Amino acid sequence: MVKRTLQKTVLLAALALVLLTGGVLAQEEPVIPAQACAEAGTLDLWVWDENWASILEESTNAWIESYCPGAVVNITVHPWGQYWDLVQTAATSGDLPDVFNMSQDRFYFYASNDALLDLQPYWDEYGVDTTVWGTGLVDPYRWGSNGDLYAGPVNWDTVAIYYNKDLFDAAGLEYPTSDWTWDDFAAAAAALTNPQNDVYGAAVFNEYQSGYPNWIAATGTTPVAEEGRTACTLQDEGSIEALNFLKGLQDEGYMPTVSILGGSSANDSFAYWSAGRVAVVTGGSWLLPQALEEITFNWDVVQLPRHPETGRTRSILHSVGYVAAANTEVPDLAANLILFLSSDEGQRFFAEASGVAPANPSPELQQIWVDSFGDTDINIQAFVDATTDSQGVTAFSEIWDAINTEIVLNIFDLGVSVEEATQTACDFINTQLPETAQ
Amino acid sequence: MNPTRDNRPSFLDRLSLLDRLVAYSVLIVGAVLMVLPFVWMVSTACKPSSELNRLPLRWIPEEPTCLENVRSLNETSPDFDQYLRNSIILTVGRTVGQFITCSLAAYGFARFEFPGKRVLFAASLALLMVPFQAIVVQEYLLLRRLDWLYTFAALIIPGIFSAFALFLLRQAFLQIPIELEEAAMMDGANPLQVLWSVTLPLSLPALAAFAVITVQAAWNDFLFPVIVSNSAATRPLTVGIALLQGERSTPWNLLMMGSLLATLPMLILFILLQRYFIEGVALTGSRR
Amino acid sequence: MTVIQNWLGRTPLARRRALWGLALVAPNTVGLLVFFGIPTLISFATSLQEWNGLRPPAYIGLDNFERLLRDEGFWKALGNTLKLLLLSVPTGVVLALGLALILNQQLRGRTLFRAIYFLPVVTSTVAASIVWTWIFQPRYGLVGNLLEPFGLRDTNWLTRPDLILLPIAIVTIWQRLGFDMILFLAGLQNVPRVLLEAAAIDGATRWQRFRHVTLPMLSPTTFLVVILSIINAFQIFDQVYIMTARTTRGGVGGSATTMTLLMYETAFTRNEFGYASAIALTLFVIILSVTIIQLRLQRRWVYYESDQG
Repeated sequence: MVKRTLQKTVLLAALALVLLTGGVLAQEEPVIPAQACAEAGTLDLWVWDENWASILEESTNAWIESYCPGAVVNITVHPWGQYWDLVQTAATSGDLPDVFNMSQDRFYFYASNDALLDLQPYWDEYGVDTTVWGTGLVDPYRWGSNGDLYAGPVNWDTVAIYYNKDLFDAAGLEYPTSDWTWDDFAAAAAALTNPQNDVYGAAVFNEYQSGYPNWIAATGTTPVAEEGRTACTLQDEGSIEALNFLKGLQDEGYMPTVSILGGSSANDSFAYWSAGRVAVVTGGSWLLPQALEEITFNWDVVQLPRHPETGRTRSILHSVGYVAAANTEVPDLAANLILFLSSDEGQRFFAEASGVAPANPSPELQQIWVDSFGDTDINIQAFVDATTDSQGVTAFSEIWDAINTEIVLNIFDLGVSVEEATQTACDFINTQLPETAQ
Repeated sequence: MNPTRDNRPSFLDRLSLLDRLVAYSVLIVGAVLMVLPFVWMVSTACKPSSELNRLPLRWIPEEPTCLENVRSLNETSPDFDQYLRNSIILTVGRTVGQFITCSLAAYGFARFEFPGKRVLFAASLALLMVPFQAIVVQEYLLLRRLDWLYTFAALIIPGIFSAFALFLLRQAFLQIPIELEEAAMMDGANPLQVLWSVTLPLSLPALAAFAVITVQAAWNDFLFPVIVSNSAATRPLTVGIALLQGERSTPWNLLMMGSLLATLPMLILFILLQRYFIEGVALTGSRR
Repeated sequence: MTVIQNWLGRTPLARRRALWGLALVAPNTVGLLVFFGIPTLISFATSLQEWNGLRPPAYIGLDNFERLLRDEGFWKALGNTLKLLLLSVPTGVVLALGLALILNQQLRGRTLFRAIYFLPVVTSTVAASIVWTWIFQPRYGLVGNLLEPFGLRDTNWLTRPDLILLPIAIVTIWQRLGFDMILFLAGLQNVPRVLLEAAAIDGATRWQRFRHVTLPMLSPTTFLVVILSIINAFQIFDQVYIMTARTTRGGVGGSATTMTLLMYETAFTRNEFGYASAIALTLFVIILSVTIIQLRLQRRWVYYESDQG
C-alpha cells in the first residue's frame, strides 16, 4: 500500500515536472521526436492524394537523409476513385504496399482481417505516449482488447460553414458568429432563399463527414453507429431530431434537392455554392485552398451552429493515418518511417503545405498551418476551434458507403420520411454489424 | 453477298409528294433526336464552369472555352493523355493480334483437312453462345493466377482470340476461288505465303469490315478493362472517363470534354470508313 | 509412328497438309480454349464454392443457388433486367424497322440519314451514358428544360426508383437503333421486288404489302434482331454503372441494379467469387434458354424461302 502511494506520488511529481518543463520548453521539446532506423531498406508507399505525394517526397527525403541513410521509398498515387479497390485487391492477393494511407471508416475491415501491422510495440519502444493525440484522431485506429494503436495519424479534417458574404449583404443579414444556433441558422436560410434568382439558403445535408452527421453529433448522439460498432444510432432521438430539422429546411424550400445539386457528395454542394446558387454550405477544411483560389465572391467560414439545447457545435473529425501491412518484409523500417511522419519534424512538412492540418498536436505546428494560407481575412481558426469538440468517424465503410448516400437520397431527394428512411438504413446496418450478425 | 439484291428501278420507287413529306419529317425528327446529345456534349464541353448551373439553357456558350477546358481536363485528370495512349495500344494490339490468330485459323479451317477439324471448329463456334459477362469473373481469376492483372497482356491477349472473327474470315476465305490458291501452290509457295499473297488480298472488304468491328469493340470496351486495369499505366479512356464521373467532383463541362475526346476518334473513323462499319453490322447479323 | 501417320492422312501430301492445318488453327483454338472454354467450365466448379479470393475455396454444394432463390437483391436485379428488356426491346425493334422501311425508299440523302442514325452505335456506351446523365440532370439538364412546360424541369429521373430505368432504356435504344436498322435494311434487300410489284398490281395497299409480303419475308431478320436485342438487354452494365455513378451505384435501394452489375459488385466489391459465379451461370442459362426457346418458336413463325421447297 505504502509502495503504491509512493509510486503515485512519484508519478504525480514527474507529471508535474513534465507539465512545467513542457510549458517552458514547448518551443524546443518536440511532442514526438523522430528516431534513427535500425537498418535501411526499400519501402512502397501508397497515397490517394496528389498533393500529399509531393509533401511526402520532401519529408521522406528528410527521413532518409537524417534518420535512415540508404533507404528508398517508392511513392505511388492512386486517386481516391480507385484507391480502395486497389488496396482491397492488394490485400486479397497479399500484395499490400509496406506503408499506405488509411481512413478511419475503412480501418475496421483491414484490422478485422489481420491485414495490418500492430504498431503499438513500436510506439512503446519509441516511447511515444499515444494519448498525446486527441481521441477523435486516434480512437478509430485502435484495435484489439488492449486498444493498440495501428496507425500514425497524419492530419485532421474538420467541418465548418462556408458562406457567401455577398448574399448575406444582399439579404441585409449580419454575418454569423461562432455562437449562432440552429434557430439562427434556420432564420438565415429562410432569409437567404431567393427563388427568383434561383438561389437557395443552404445545402448542408450531404453524405459523409461534412454533411448531416455533424448535425446529429451536435445533439450528443454518435452518428450512424455507436463507438463499439455495435448498434445503429440513426433511429436515436438525436438523429431523428437532426434529420427532421434539416428536412424541415428543405420542405420549406430553403435547400435544394440532391438532384438539383447534381449529386449527394460534399463536392456537389460545394460546386453549387461556388456557382453562387446557394448561400451557405457545410464544407471541410480540405476545401480551403480550392476556395481561396477559385471563389470570386466575398466569403468566409464560421463554426457550425450550436444545438439550441446542448449548446454544442460539433464537427465530424477525420484523420488519415499511415498504416503498415501485416506481411511487410520490413516491419521495423515501416514503423520507423511512420514514426518520423508522425513526429514534429515530419509533420512540419504537412503543416507548411497549405491544406493539410497536422495531426501532431504541437501548438506551434497548428499555428504554422493557419499561417500557411498566407495573408487572408478568412477565419481559418474556425477549423482549429472545431477540433475541440469533435467526433471521430466510427462507422465502418460497409455501412458508411452503403447507407450514407442512400439515406441522403431517400430523405433529401425522394422525400421519404426521416422515420422510414432511418428504419431502412438501420435494417441494413444491423445486418452488417459483426456483433449482431453472430 | 445478297444474291436477290435488286437495284433496277421499280414503279414502287415512285413516291407521292405527301409520302416524301411524311418520310422526311420522320427522318428529320429522328435525326435531330439522334444528334442532339452530340450537340449538347460539344456545347457543354466548350462552356466555362460558370455557365453550367445557369438558366435558361444556352446552346451556344456565351464565352466558349473549348481549349481551356481541354487544359483543365488535363489538370483534373493528369493521366488523360496516357489513357488515350493506352486505348490506342489496346485497340491496335487486339486488332492486329486477332487478325493474325483468326486469319491463320480461318485459313486452316477453310482449306485444310485434318483429324478433329469438325470437333475443333464446332467447339470454337460453340463459344459464341457464351456471353462474355458470364465468364468475366473467371477470366479475372485466371488472369490473376497467371499474374497478368493490370498489365497490357491482360488487356490484350484474351482479346486476340475470337470465335466470331474466325467464323467471319472463314466465310470470306471460302468465297475465294480455290483455283487461285492452287496456282500459287503449284509455283511452290507454302500455305503462309499463299494466305499472305493470294487469300488475304482477295478478302480485303471482309478484312476491312472485320477490322472496324474489332477496333470499335476494343476502343469502347469497358467491363473488362475496368476489372483488369487499375492504374494509369494501362487504363484505357473508357475507364478513365468513368473514373472522372465516379469522382463526383468533376464539373460537367470537363466530363463532356472527356467524353468528346473519347468519342472523336471513332466518329472520325466512322466518317472515313462508313461503308465498312455498315458492312460490319450486316456481317455481325450473319453470324447466326 | 504409323498409327499417327495414318491418323493424319493416307498420303504424304495429305499428312503434310494436315500438319499445316493443325498448325494454322492451333493458336486461335488453344487461345479460345484457355481464355474462354476453360473459364466457362471452371465457372461451374466455382459456383459450388464459397470463396473470397483470399482463403482457400470451400465446397458448399448448391448453397449458392439456394441463396440466390432467397436473395431479394437477386430477384430485384432479375426484375430490373426484365423491365429494361421490356422497355427497350419492343420499342427499339419497332423503331428500327420503321426507319429501315423509310430508308429503303429511293429518297435523296438517305445515306446521310443512315450515317446519322448510326453515329450512336460507334460511340462508346460509357461516353454516351455520361452525356445522357448530364441530359437527364434535373433543373440544368436538357430533358428537364425541354419538358418544363409540363412541370418536369426538376424531375429527378436518375434517383427516383420508379423512373430510373427509363433513362437507361432510352440510352440503350438510342445506341442500338442504328445497329438494328442496318440489319433490317440488309434484310429488306432480300425481299424480292417482284413479289411486292405483283402484290401492288393485284391491288394490295401499302399496308397489305407490308403485312403479307415484306413482314413474312423479313421474319428471319426480325427474329435475329429480337434475339440480339434481348441478349444485349440481359448484358446491360455500362449504362447503369455510369448513370448511377454520381449518386449510388445501382440506384437507391438497388432500383437500377441489373444482373450483370449485381454479378460485378458481388465479385469485385464484395469479393464473393463463388456467389458471383452462381449469378453468372444463371445469367448464362437464361440467355441460352432465350436463344433455344426462340430457335424453337422460329420454326413456327419465321418464314424461310427454302420452306417453300
